Amino acid sequence: MNLSERIRKSTIGGSFFRSPDRVTERDRAAGHWSNFLLHLYPVKVRKVEITFKYTGFLGVTSAVLFGILTVTGVFLMFFYVPSPANAYGDVQNIQTQVAFGQFLRNAHRWAAHLMVLAVAAHLARVFYRGAYKPPKEFNWVVGVVLLVITLLLSFTGYLLPWDQLAYWAVTVGTSMAAYVPLIGDQVQELMLGGPTVGSATLLRFYVLHVAVLPLTLVGVLTLHIWRWRKDAMLTLDTKTGDIDA
Amino acid sequence: MLDPDPKIIGDKRLLGVVPGKPGVGDRKEPAAEETVMVWPNLLVRHAVAALVVILVVVLIAVFFDAPLREIANPLNTPNPEKAPWYFAALQELLAQFHPLVAGVLVPGAIVLGLVALPYVDRNPSLDPRKRQIARATFTVFMVLWIALTLIGFMFRGENWSWVWPWQEWHGEL
Repeated sequence: MNLSERIRKSTIGGSFFRSPDRVTERDRAAGHWSNFLLHLYPVKVRKVEITFKYTGFLGVTSAVLFGILTVTGVFLMFFYVPSPANAYGDVQNIQTQVAFGQFLRNAHRWAAHLMVLAVAAHLARVFYRGAYKPPKEFNWVVGVVLLVITLLLSFTGYLLPWDQLAYWAVTVGTSMAAYVPLIGDQVQELMLGGPTVGSATLLRFYVLHVAVLPLTLVGVLTLHIWRWRKDAMLTLDTKTGDIDA
Repeated sequence: MLDPDPKIIGDKRLLGVVPGKPGVGDRKEPAAEETVMVWPNLLVRHAVAALVVILVVVLIAVFFDAPLREIANPLNTPNPEKAPWYFAALQELLAQFHPLVAGVLVPGAIVLGLVALPYVDRNPSLDPRKRQIARATFTVFMVLWIALTLIGFMFRGENWSWVWPWQEWHGEL
Protein backbone atom coordinates (compact mmCIF):
# COMPACT_ATOMS: atom_id res chain seq x y z
CA MET A 1 0.00 0.00 0.00
CA ASN A 2 1.59 3.29 -1.04
CA LEU A 3 1.43 6.56 0.87
CA SER A 4 -1.50 8.18 -0.94
CA GLU A 5 -3.54 5.01 -0.51
CA ARG A 6 -2.73 4.93 3.21
CA ILE A 7 -3.79 8.58 3.56
CA ARG A 8 -7.06 7.94 1.74
CA LYS A 9 -7.82 4.91 3.89
CA SER A 10 -7.00 6.58 7.22
CA THR A 11 -9.75 8.08 9.39
CA ILE A 12 -8.81 11.70 8.68
CA GLY A 13 -7.84 11.20 5.05
CA GLY A 14 -11.00 9.21 4.41
CA SER A 15 -13.11 12.08 5.72
CA PHE A 16 -11.42 14.35 3.16
CA PHE A 17 -11.55 12.17 0.10
CA ARG A 18 -14.66 10.03 0.72
CA SER A 19 -14.13 7.52 -2.07
CA PRO A 20 -11.11 5.52 -0.97
CA ASP A 21 -10.17 3.67 -4.14
CA ARG A 22 -9.31 4.68 -7.67
CA VAL A 23 -9.03 1.19 -9.07
CA THR A 24 -12.09 0.51 -11.17
CA GLU A 25 -13.88 2.92 -13.49
CA ARG A 26 -16.72 2.98 -11.00
CA ASP A 27 -14.33 4.16 -8.25
CA ARG A 28 -13.00 6.91 -10.46
CA ALA A 29 -16.49 8.09 -11.41
CA ALA A 30 -17.38 8.14 -7.70
CA GLY A 31 -14.20 10.16 -7.11
CA HIS A 32 -15.42 12.78 -9.55
CA TRP A 33 -18.79 13.24 -7.95
CA SER A 34 -17.38 13.51 -4.44
CA ASN A 35 -14.58 15.96 -5.30
CA PHE A 36 -15.31 19.67 -5.44
CA LEU A 37 -12.85 20.50 -8.22
CA LEU A 38 -13.14 17.31 -10.25
CA HIS A 39 -16.88 17.79 -10.13
CA LEU A 40 -16.34 20.34 -12.92
CA TYR A 41 -15.11 17.53 -15.17
CA PRO A 42 -17.27 14.99 -16.94
CA VAL A 43 -16.60 11.36 -16.01
CA LYS A 44 -15.98 10.36 -19.59
CA VAL A 45 -15.15 12.29 -22.72
CA ARG A 46 -14.94 11.32 -26.34
CA LYS A 47 -11.51 10.00 -27.19
CA VAL A 48 -10.85 12.84 -29.65
CA GLU A 49 -11.30 15.44 -26.91
CA ILE A 50 -8.10 14.47 -25.13
CA THR A 51 -5.90 14.98 -28.19
CA PHE A 52 -3.73 18.06 -28.70
CA LYS A 53 -4.76 18.22 -32.34
CA TYR A 54 -8.42 18.66 -31.43
CA THR A 55 -8.26 21.18 -28.57
CA GLY A 56 -4.71 22.54 -28.41
CA PHE A 57 -5.40 22.51 -24.63
CA LEU A 58 -6.16 26.21 -25.05
CA GLY A 59 -9.09 26.29 -22.62
CA VAL A 60 -7.11 24.74 -19.79
CA THR A 61 -4.18 27.01 -20.72
CA SER A 62 -6.41 30.07 -20.33
CA ALA A 63 -7.66 28.81 -16.96
CA VAL A 64 -4.14 28.10 -15.70
CA LEU A 65 -3.01 31.57 -16.77
CA PHE A 66 -5.93 33.03 -14.84
CA GLY A 67 -4.77 31.04 -11.81
CA ILE A 68 -1.21 32.41 -12.18
CA LEU A 69 -2.65 35.93 -12.52
CA THR A 70 -4.72 35.51 -9.37
CA VAL A 71 -1.77 34.34 -7.27
CA THR A 72 0.72 36.91 -8.56
CA GLY A 73 -1.95 39.63 -8.51
CA VAL A 74 -2.81 39.07 -4.85
CA PHE A 75 0.91 39.24 -4.07
CA LEU A 76 1.19 42.60 -5.85
CA MET A 77 -1.85 43.94 -3.99
CA PHE A 78 0.03 43.71 -0.68
CA PHE A 79 2.48 46.37 -1.89
CA TYR A 80 0.32 48.66 -3.98
CA VAL A 81 -1.87 51.69 -3.19
CA PRO A 82 -4.09 52.89 -6.06
CA SER A 83 -3.52 56.63 -5.89
CA PRO A 84 -1.50 58.85 -8.24
CA ALA A 85 0.74 59.85 -5.34
CA ASN A 86 1.67 56.26 -4.45
CA ALA A 87 1.09 53.92 -7.39
CA TYR A 88 4.22 54.56 -9.45
CA GLY A 89 6.51 54.56 -6.42
CA ASP A 90 4.89 51.36 -5.15
CA VAL A 91 5.61 49.60 -8.45
CA GLN A 92 9.23 50.81 -8.31
CA ASN A 93 9.38 49.58 -4.73
CA ILE A 94 8.00 46.18 -5.77
CA GLN A 95 10.71 45.91 -8.41
CA THR A 96 13.63 46.97 -6.24
CA GLN A 97 12.82 46.32 -2.57
CA VAL A 98 10.28 43.47 -2.36
CA ALA A 99 11.61 39.90 -2.38
CA PHE A 100 10.74 38.28 -5.74
CA GLY A 101 8.80 41.47 -6.54
CA GLN A 102 10.31 42.02 -9.98
CA PHE A 103 9.83 38.35 -10.89
CA LEU A 104 6.20 38.26 -9.79
CA ARG A 105 5.37 41.54 -11.50
CA ASN A 106 6.97 40.19 -14.69
CA ALA A 107 4.97 36.96 -14.38
CA HIS A 108 1.75 38.94 -13.87
CA ARG A 109 2.39 41.14 -16.89
CA TRP A 110 3.40 38.38 -19.30
CA ALA A 111 0.71 35.96 -18.12
CA ALA A 112 -1.87 38.70 -18.77
CA HIS A 113 -0.74 39.15 -22.37
CA LEU A 114 -0.58 35.37 -22.84
CA MET A 115 -4.11 34.99 -21.45
CA VAL A 116 -5.52 37.37 -24.07
CA LEU A 117 -3.72 35.34 -26.74
CA ALA A 118 -4.82 31.99 -25.27
CA VAL A 119 -8.48 33.01 -24.98
CA ALA A 120 -8.50 34.34 -28.56
CA ALA A 121 -6.80 31.17 -29.82
CA HIS A 122 -9.30 29.04 -27.88
CA LEU A 123 -12.13 30.87 -29.65
CA ALA A 124 -10.55 30.27 -33.06
CA ARG A 125 -9.88 26.59 -32.31
CA VAL A 126 -13.47 26.06 -31.17
CA PHE A 127 -14.69 27.73 -34.33
CA TYR A 128 -12.60 25.58 -36.65
CA ARG A 129 -13.75 22.33 -35.09
CA GLY A 130 -17.35 23.50 -35.16
CA ALA A 131 -17.79 23.06 -31.44
CA TYR A 132 -20.24 25.97 -31.22
CA LYS A 133 -22.93 23.94 -32.98
CA PRO A 134 -25.99 22.53 -31.25
CA PRO A 135 -26.30 21.74 -28.39
CA LYS A 136 -23.38 24.03 -27.50
CA GLU A 137 -24.55 27.36 -28.99
CA PHE A 138 -25.09 29.02 -25.66
CA ASN A 139 -21.73 27.97 -24.29
CA TRP A 140 -20.12 29.73 -27.26
CA VAL A 141 -21.97 32.90 -26.22
CA VAL A 142 -20.70 32.44 -22.65
CA GLY A 143 -17.21 32.10 -24.13
CA VAL A 144 -17.58 35.41 -25.99
CA VAL A 145 -18.57 37.04 -22.69
CA LEU A 146 -15.41 35.57 -21.13
CA LEU A 147 -13.31 37.03 -23.96
CA VAL A 148 -14.77 40.49 -23.29
CA ILE A 149 -14.16 40.15 -19.54
CA THR A 150 -10.57 39.07 -20.25
CA LEU A 151 -9.98 42.16 -22.39
CA LEU A 152 -11.51 44.42 -19.73
CA LEU A 153 -9.34 42.80 -17.04
CA SER A 154 -6.24 43.36 -19.10
CA PHE A 155 -7.20 46.93 -19.96
CA THR A 156 -8.03 47.94 -16.37
CA GLY A 157 -4.77 46.40 -15.19
CA TYR A 158 -2.84 48.32 -17.83
CA LEU A 159 -3.43 51.63 -15.99
CA LEU A 160 -2.27 50.52 -12.55
CA PRO A 161 1.54 51.04 -12.90
CA TRP A 162 0.70 54.72 -13.53
CA ASP A 163 3.59 55.29 -15.91
CA GLN A 164 3.50 57.11 -19.26
CA LEU A 165 2.69 53.85 -21.09
CA ALA A 166 -0.29 53.15 -18.83
CA TYR A 167 -1.59 56.69 -18.73
CA TRP A 168 -1.67 57.32 -22.46
CA ALA A 169 -2.77 53.84 -23.50
CA VAL A 170 -5.82 54.24 -21.26
CA THR A 171 -6.36 57.79 -22.51
CA VAL A 172 -6.48 56.47 -26.08
CA GLY A 173 -8.63 53.47 -25.15
CA THR A 174 -11.22 55.41 -23.20
CA SER A 175 -11.40 58.21 -25.78
CA MET A 176 -13.10 55.71 -28.12
CA ALA A 177 -15.99 55.44 -25.66
CA ALA A 178 -16.76 59.13 -26.22
CA TYR A 179 -17.92 58.32 -29.76
CA VAL A 180 -20.84 56.18 -28.63
CA PRO A 181 -23.91 57.99 -30.03
CA LEU A 182 -25.97 60.12 -27.62
CA ILE A 183 -24.45 58.81 -24.37
CA GLY A 184 -20.75 58.83 -25.36
CA ASP A 185 -19.69 61.63 -23.04
CA GLN A 186 -21.53 60.08 -20.12
CA VAL A 187 -19.97 56.67 -20.79
CA GLN A 188 -16.50 58.21 -20.87
CA GLU A 189 -17.23 60.22 -17.73
CA LEU A 190 -18.39 57.05 -15.98
CA MET A 191 -15.17 55.23 -16.91
CA LEU A 192 -12.84 58.09 -16.06
CA GLY A 193 -14.65 59.66 -13.11
CA GLY A 194 -13.70 63.06 -14.53
CA PRO A 195 -12.79 64.83 -17.76
CA THR A 196 -9.37 63.13 -18.04
CA VAL A 197 -7.57 60.10 -16.62
CA GLY A 198 -6.91 60.96 -12.98
CA SER A 199 -7.09 59.70 -9.41
CA ALA A 200 -10.78 58.72 -9.75
CA THR A 201 -9.94 56.69 -12.87
CA LEU A 202 -7.11 54.89 -11.10
CA LEU A 203 -9.35 53.95 -8.17
CA ARG A 204 -12.19 52.81 -10.46
CA PHE A 205 -9.90 50.71 -12.63
CA TYR A 206 -8.27 49.22 -9.53
CA VAL A 207 -11.58 48.16 -7.97
CA LEU A 208 -12.75 46.73 -11.27
CA HIS A 209 -9.42 44.98 -11.80
CA VAL A 210 -9.00 43.33 -8.39
CA ALA A 211 -12.60 42.67 -7.37
CA VAL A 212 -15.48 43.16 -9.80
CA LEU A 213 -14.01 41.68 -12.98
CA PRO A 214 -12.15 38.68 -11.47
CA LEU A 215 -15.20 37.63 -9.46
CA THR A 216 -17.41 38.01 -12.53
CA LEU A 217 -14.93 35.99 -14.55
CA VAL A 218 -14.87 33.17 -11.98
CA GLY A 219 -18.67 33.02 -11.99
CA VAL A 220 -19.04 33.03 -15.76
CA LEU A 221 -16.12 30.62 -16.16
CA THR A 222 -17.77 28.18 -13.76
CA LEU A 223 -20.91 28.31 -15.90
CA HIS A 224 -18.77 27.78 -19.00
CA ILE A 225 -17.03 24.69 -17.60
CA TRP A 226 -20.22 23.29 -16.12
CA ARG A 227 -21.95 23.50 -19.49
CA TRP A 228 -18.94 21.89 -21.14
CA ARG A 229 -19.30 19.00 -18.68
CA LYS A 230 -23.02 18.74 -19.34
CA ASP A 231 -22.45 18.74 -23.10
CA ALA A 232 -19.46 16.42 -23.06
CA MET A 233 -21.59 13.35 -23.63
CA LEU A 234 -23.99 14.89 -26.12
CA THR A 235 -22.14 14.32 -29.29
CA LEU A 236 -22.49 15.14 -32.90
CA ASP A 237 -21.92 12.33 -35.29
CA THR A 238 -18.66 13.41 -36.88
CA LYS A 239 -18.77 10.76 -39.58
CA THR A 240 -21.90 11.86 -41.37
CA GLY A 241 -21.94 15.41 -40.11
CA ASP A 242 -25.60 15.15 -39.17
CA ILE A 243 -27.10 15.93 -35.82
CA ASP A 244 -28.03 12.68 -34.14
CA ALA A 245 -31.73 12.46 -33.85
CA MET B 1 -48.94 -9.08 -7.13
CA LEU B 2 -47.63 -12.10 -8.89
CA ASP B 3 -47.62 -12.37 -12.66
CA PRO B 4 -49.52 -15.58 -13.38
CA ASP B 5 -47.72 -16.04 -16.70
CA PRO B 6 -44.20 -14.52 -16.42
CA LYS B 7 -42.11 -14.22 -19.58
CA ILE B 8 -38.68 -15.64 -18.96
CA ILE B 9 -35.69 -14.67 -21.12
CA GLY B 10 -32.52 -16.40 -20.11
CA ASP B 11 -32.91 -16.57 -16.33
CA LYS B 12 -34.56 -13.14 -16.17
CA ARG B 13 -38.23 -12.28 -15.84
CA LEU B 14 -39.31 -9.64 -18.37
CA LEU B 15 -41.48 -6.98 -16.69
CA GLY B 16 -42.52 -5.02 -19.74
CA VAL B 17 -41.63 -3.34 -22.99
CA VAL B 18 -42.12 0.43 -23.34
CA PRO B 19 -42.70 1.96 -26.79
CA GLY B 20 -40.75 4.97 -28.11
CA LYS B 21 -37.24 6.29 -27.88
CA PRO B 22 -35.06 6.32 -24.76
CA GLY B 23 -36.15 8.74 -22.06
CA VAL B 24 -33.26 11.14 -22.67
CA GLY B 25 -34.86 12.11 -25.98
CA ASP B 26 -32.87 12.83 -29.08
CA ARG B 27 -29.46 12.45 -27.52
CA LYS B 28 -27.18 9.70 -28.58
CA GLU B 29 -25.03 7.97 -26.04
CA PRO B 30 -21.66 7.55 -27.72
CA ALA B 31 -20.53 4.00 -28.20
CA ALA B 32 -18.26 2.81 -25.41
CA GLU B 33 -15.16 2.50 -27.58
CA GLU B 34 -15.34 6.18 -28.57
CA THR B 35 -14.99 7.43 -25.01
CA VAL B 36 -12.28 7.38 -22.37
CA MET B 37 -12.35 7.94 -18.64
CA VAL B 38 -11.39 11.50 -17.69
CA TRP B 39 -9.51 10.05 -14.74
CA PRO B 40 -6.66 9.53 -15.56
CA ASN B 41 -6.58 10.23 -19.33
CA LEU B 42 -7.68 13.88 -19.46
CA LEU B 43 -6.49 14.83 -15.96
CA VAL B 44 -2.92 13.73 -16.73
CA ARG B 45 -2.90 15.74 -19.95
CA HIS B 46 -4.33 18.81 -18.21
CA ALA B 47 -1.71 18.50 -15.47
CA VAL B 48 1.06 18.38 -18.09
CA ALA B 49 -0.48 21.35 -19.94
CA ALA B 50 -0.62 23.31 -16.66
CA LEU B 51 3.04 22.53 -15.89
CA VAL B 52 4.08 23.61 -19.38
CA VAL B 53 2.16 26.90 -19.07
CA ILE B 54 3.70 27.60 -15.65
CA LEU B 55 7.18 26.79 -17.00
CA VAL B 56 6.72 29.12 -19.98
CA VAL B 57 5.54 32.00 -17.77
CA VAL B 58 8.39 31.45 -15.30
CA LEU B 59 10.98 31.43 -18.08
CA ILE B 60 9.63 34.59 -19.71
CA ALA B 61 9.41 36.32 -16.30
CA VAL B 62 13.00 35.38 -15.45
CA PHE B 63 14.47 36.67 -18.70
CA PHE B 64 12.26 39.65 -19.59
CA ASP B 65 11.32 42.50 -17.27
CA ALA B 66 7.90 44.10 -17.49
CA PRO B 67 8.13 47.64 -18.89
CA LEU B 68 7.95 50.65 -16.57
CA ARG B 69 8.35 54.05 -18.19
CA GLU B 70 8.58 57.46 -16.48
CA ILE B 71 5.80 58.43 -14.09
CA ALA B 72 2.51 59.43 -15.75
CA ASN B 73 2.56 63.04 -16.89
CA PRO B 74 -0.73 64.46 -18.23
CA LEU B 75 1.18 67.41 -19.73
CA ASN B 76 3.54 65.32 -21.84
CA THR B 77 1.78 63.34 -24.57
CA PRO B 78 4.08 60.70 -26.09
CA ASN B 79 4.28 60.42 -29.86
CA PRO B 80 3.03 57.97 -31.04
CA GLU B 81 0.29 57.55 -28.45
CA LYS B 82 -0.51 53.83 -28.45
CA ALA B 83 -3.37 51.77 -27.04
CA PRO B 84 -2.59 48.29 -25.64
CA TRP B 85 -1.71 45.83 -28.41
CA TYR B 86 -5.09 44.04 -28.35
CA PHE B 87 -6.76 47.36 -29.24
CA ALA B 88 -4.12 48.21 -31.88
CA ALA B 89 -6.41 47.06 -34.70
CA LEU B 90 -9.15 49.41 -33.47
CA GLN B 91 -6.66 52.25 -33.20
CA GLU B 92 -5.50 51.57 -36.74
CA LEU B 93 -9.12 51.70 -37.93
CA LEU B 94 -9.55 54.93 -35.97
CA ALA B 95 -6.82 56.48 -38.12
CA GLN B 96 -8.63 55.44 -41.31
CA PHE B 97 -12.32 55.89 -40.59
CA HIS B 98 -14.70 58.14 -38.71
CA PRO B 99 -14.44 57.46 -34.95
CA LEU B 100 -18.05 56.32 -34.84
CA VAL B 101 -17.20 53.53 -37.28
CA ALA B 102 -13.87 52.52 -35.79
CA GLY B 103 -14.60 53.08 -32.11
CA VAL B 104 -18.21 51.96 -31.83
CA LEU B 105 -19.66 50.21 -34.89
CA VAL B 106 -16.77 47.82 -35.64
CA PRO B 107 -16.18 46.57 -32.08
CA GLY B 108 -19.95 46.35 -31.56
CA ALA B 109 -20.36 44.39 -34.79
CA ILE B 110 -17.53 42.02 -33.85
CA VAL B 111 -19.04 41.16 -30.46
CA LEU B 112 -22.57 40.88 -31.85
CA GLY B 113 -21.33 38.84 -34.81
CA LEU B 114 -19.53 36.39 -32.54
CA VAL B 115 -22.57 36.07 -30.27
CA ALA B 116 -24.86 35.51 -33.27
CA LEU B 117 -22.55 33.03 -35.03
CA PRO B 118 -24.06 29.76 -33.73
CA TYR B 119 -27.58 31.02 -34.47
CA VAL B 120 -26.72 32.23 -37.99
CA ASP B 121 -24.62 29.25 -39.05
CA ARG B 122 -27.25 26.49 -38.85
CA ASN B 123 -25.26 24.09 -41.01
CA PRO B 124 -25.02 21.02 -38.77
CA SER B 125 -21.97 19.54 -40.50
CA LEU B 126 -18.64 19.29 -38.72
CA ASP B 127 -16.85 18.20 -41.87
CA PRO B 128 -14.47 20.99 -42.97
CA ARG B 129 -15.30 20.32 -46.61
CA LYS B 130 -18.98 21.00 -45.95
CA ARG B 131 -18.30 24.22 -44.01
CA GLN B 132 -16.26 26.12 -46.57
CA ILE B 133 -18.31 29.35 -46.47
CA ALA B 134 -18.22 29.57 -42.68
CA ARG B 135 -14.52 28.74 -42.53
CA ALA B 136 -13.61 31.16 -45.31
CA THR B 137 -15.60 34.01 -43.75
CA PHE B 138 -14.11 33.49 -40.32
CA THR B 139 -10.60 33.13 -41.75
CA VAL B 140 -10.86 36.35 -43.77
CA PHE B 141 -11.97 38.37 -40.73
CA MET B 142 -9.36 36.75 -38.50
CA VAL B 143 -6.47 37.38 -40.91
CA LEU B 144 -7.68 40.95 -41.44
CA TRP B 145 -7.82 41.51 -37.69
CA ILE B 146 -4.37 40.03 -37.08
CA ALA B 147 -2.93 42.17 -39.91
CA LEU B 148 -4.51 45.36 -38.52
CA THR B 149 -3.25 44.49 -35.03
CA LEU B 150 0.29 43.97 -36.29
CA ILE B 151 0.17 47.20 -38.32
CA GLY B 152 -1.10 49.25 -35.37
CA PHE B 153 1.30 47.58 -32.97
CA MET B 154 4.57 47.56 -34.93
CA PHE B 155 4.27 49.53 -38.17
CA ARG B 156 3.14 52.88 -36.81
CA GLY B 157 5.48 55.57 -35.51
CA GLU B 158 5.36 59.31 -34.91
CA ASN B 159 2.05 60.91 -35.88
CA TRP B 160 0.84 57.41 -36.80
CA SER B 161 3.05 57.39 -39.89
CA TRP B 162 4.24 54.12 -41.44
CA VAL B 163 7.53 52.75 -40.08
CA TRP B 164 9.35 49.48 -40.59
CA PRO B 165 9.70 47.69 -37.25
CA TRP B 166 13.33 46.73 -38.01
CA GLN B 167 14.19 50.42 -38.45
CA GLU B 168 12.17 52.03 -35.65
CA TRP B 169 10.48 50.02 -32.94
CA HIS B 170 7.29 51.50 -31.47
CA GLY B 171 5.52 48.38 -30.15
CA GLU B 172 4.74 48.57 -26.45
CA LEU B 173 3.71 45.64 -24.29
